[in-house]
Amino acid sequence: MAYPLQLGLQDATSPLMEELIQFHDHTLMIALLLSTMVFYTILTTVTTKLTNKNMLDSQGIETIWTIAPALILILIAMPSLRVLYMMDEVNNPHLTVKTIGHQWYWSYEYTDYKNLEFDSYMIPTQDLIPGQFRLLETDHRMVVPTDSPVRMLITADDVIHSWAVPTLGEKMDAIPGRLNQTTFVVSHPGVFYGQCSEICGANHSFMPISVEAIPLIHFEDWSTSMLAKI
Amino acid sequence: MSSMFRMVGKQLKTHPSLIPLFIFIGGGATMSMLYLGRLALKNPDVSWDHKNNPEPWNNIEPNQQYKFFTVNTDYSKLKKDRPDF
Repeated sequence: MAYPLQLGLQDATSPLMEELIQFHDHTLMIALLLSTMVFYTILTTVTTKLTNKNMLDSQGIETIWTIAPALILILIAMPSLRVLYMMDEVNNPHLTVKTIGHQWYWSYEYTDYKNLEFDSYMIPTQDLIPGQFRLLETDHRMVVPTDSPVRMLITADDVIHSWAVPTLGEKMDAIPGRLNQTTFVVSHPGVFYGQCSEICGANHSFMPISVEAIPLIHFEDWSTSMLAKI
Repeated sequence: MSSMFRMVGKQLKTHPSLIPLFIFIGGGATMSMLYLGRLALKNPDVSWDHKNNPEPWNNIEPNQQYKFFTVNTDYSKLKKDRPDF
């Protein structure tokens, strides 16, 4: 999850996010190398004692600085398109969870077998118990089994919201009147947080998402207990 | 129009470093246009023939690859597991 003064991406909890992090590192390295080179060039240009009052040109260097950037861009575009198409693949989900954004909470529906529906409100700061995270905890978590492709169907009830869990590499807008689909696989058990990512009114910052991933053998225990509770 | 080409041809003789520029820009523009053409003709969201095939998005086979490129999905191996209309 996020931590104070964080600069980079959160650690990956899904294979897709691992690919995204690798692509980000690859592209950022290229960007940093290029920026260093440009900064050095500007520094030497600005501090040099050499002067020349004529127009200068050179076919050699122009050829190099046409071909090299084009090759670098191709080297960035190939992994980019690969990850882009990979993100769109629907890999035979084991479970479908529907989530609806409301002002200002999320509701989750598990309707594959029985009709399990519940709302997920943020726990107010004054009601937190020690150890819980401010503005991230919810009263009911969305529980999914680990190592199982999960399909999310996302929509909204009133205004546009966005369902985002950074560690899973997930962000999908919840638009009223539209059903958006995304899939993910959770690699290891844990609790993963996200926050609504589309401005939706007064409490936009106070409708977080928390996903709890548990091994499949325990998943049915949870869904049975939730059905009994709700 | 042809005088423009002749002018560019003359400049190419004295500035051969322009040739890679034409290759990359021309290649990029060609690839973009080809992809747009592919989208126009093969994307199931686009309907050209209103009489014979008015809604192509309703006629997609379960193992039809409609995207340009796949990484992990082998469309020929997909099964049909939904009812017919």
